[in-house]
Amino acid sequence: MTEMVKKNANDLDKNFRYEISEKIGAKSLLKCIQCGVCSSGCTVTEYVDMQPHRVVASCLLGLKEEVLSSQAIWTCSLCHRCTERCPKNVDYSFILALLRNMAVKEGKIPKEYSGTIVTIFNNGFVVPYTGGLKDNIDRRRNRLGLPQIFPPNLDEIRYIIEETGLGELAKKKEGDK
Amino acid sequence: MEYAFFLGCTIPLKLPHLEKAFRDVASILDLKLKEMVGVSCCPEPVSLQSLNIDTWMTLGARNLAIAEKMGLDILTICSGCYETLKTVSVLLEGDEKYLERINAILEKINYKYTGKTKVYHFVEIFSQPEWLDKLKKLTVKPLDDLNLAVHYGCHLIRPSKIMQFDHPEKPEKIDIILKTLGAKTVDFATKLECCGFCARLQEEIGENLVEEKMTELCNLEEEVDALIAVCPACTTQYDRKEKIIARRTGKELDIPVLYLSEIMAVALGVELEDLSLNQRSVKPNKLIEKLTT
Repeated sequence: MTEMVKKNANDLDKNFRYEISEKIGAKSLLKCIQCGVCSSGCTVTEYVDMQPHRVVASCLLGLKEEVLSSQAIWTCSLCHRCTERCPKNVDYSFILALLRNMAVKEGKIPKEYSGTIVTIFNNGFVVPYTGGLKDNIDRRRNRLGLPQIFPPNLDEIRYIIEETGLGELAKKKEGDK
Repeated sequence: MEYAFFLGCTIPLKLPHLEKAFRDVASILDLKLKEMVGVSCCPEPVSLQSLNIDTWMTLGARNLAIAEKMGLDILTICSGCYETLKTVSVLLEGDEKYLERINAILEKINYKYTGKTKVYHFVEIFSQPEWLDKLKKLTVKPLDDLNLAVHYGCHLIRPSKIMQFDHPEKPEKIDIILKTLGAKTVDFATKLECCGFCARLQEEIGENLVEEKMTELCNLEEEVDALIAVCPACTTQYDRKEKIIARRTGKELDIPVLYLSEIMAVALGVELEDLSLNQRSVKPNKLIEKLTT
């Protein structure tokens, strides 16, 4: 169960709702009527510290710190049922992705998520495709009579990753792999 | 009709036998595919979108730009690639400003995306009337004796305002393809439940979801011969976890998971020994027996 949050009205981040809603595709946040349809159909509803309708309520209230530090925003499987069923067309799963982006900017990234960008930075693919691994994959494909893989130009992929702001994350972790 | 064939990462690099089955199907049906040179990961919808939407959209737009240069629409055989590429294409089609911002980056590496590439999942193609007719005509081994359960998965059908693929709560396109090949498909309560692969933070979410679905399928009145999926993540999730859960709980969960391309290949006459049907945790022994008698 979620612990009770006690906060003075002055300590709420009243701009948080607009910080989200001004982003492309997130205006719908402001339309939530707290009906709870999102939470009733949510795949992970029994595993989260804050159900979807409460995440939205917290965004609207200005509980920025609580939302961005919650486990709920990272537990979601992005099944999109909430977005599909919302009677007010609140695009919760997309808003949730935005909340994750905001948490990432504050350095709050679960390790289950940070590795992907490292693999793509190093391989262009989300599956390692270098050295001995590459040889094994190529042999297996050869046996099945499949055509050769044409890997992307890594400089191009890395340029995009750096230009869009994930360069540091992609490189910082490089040594860990 | 020719398509730019977007392979992605997981299928060609980890599950190439699924690609092989698809290429066999495409060749029998005379669906023309052109290889895409230099494409990257789509990129993977869940992590990349979570880390940075701009990185996700720009890497996706680069892949769409490669297809645009080929003058072809994209065909994908993975629901993850489908979600990414289709979302990027639909969002950019309606947002010139965002497209401009993305092109400002792409132009530095000599790409330009004008927003013309359409993206299709192979289910979308084969469930069209003309392809169903073709499928019917070319079926040499009707799947008459098979009782199949379909798993649509989340990213193929939702959010429907973007994917525009099928009814989001009552999809039927895969069922239609299987019925055209002669099989029966079963109706079951957990049909549209998520496989849980993308709920990465807690392993138990996926295990519980897989257990729930597989237990229901094992307890149906009619015996289910296989679960049919069209996403590499869902496919591996059910196949691997089913085995793990069976060991842990002692339940007899033994429903094999097949890719739609594999079962289509069987119906279209590809020899079973050419299909790597044993390349999975839950071996489809009973199914193979049914198919060979």
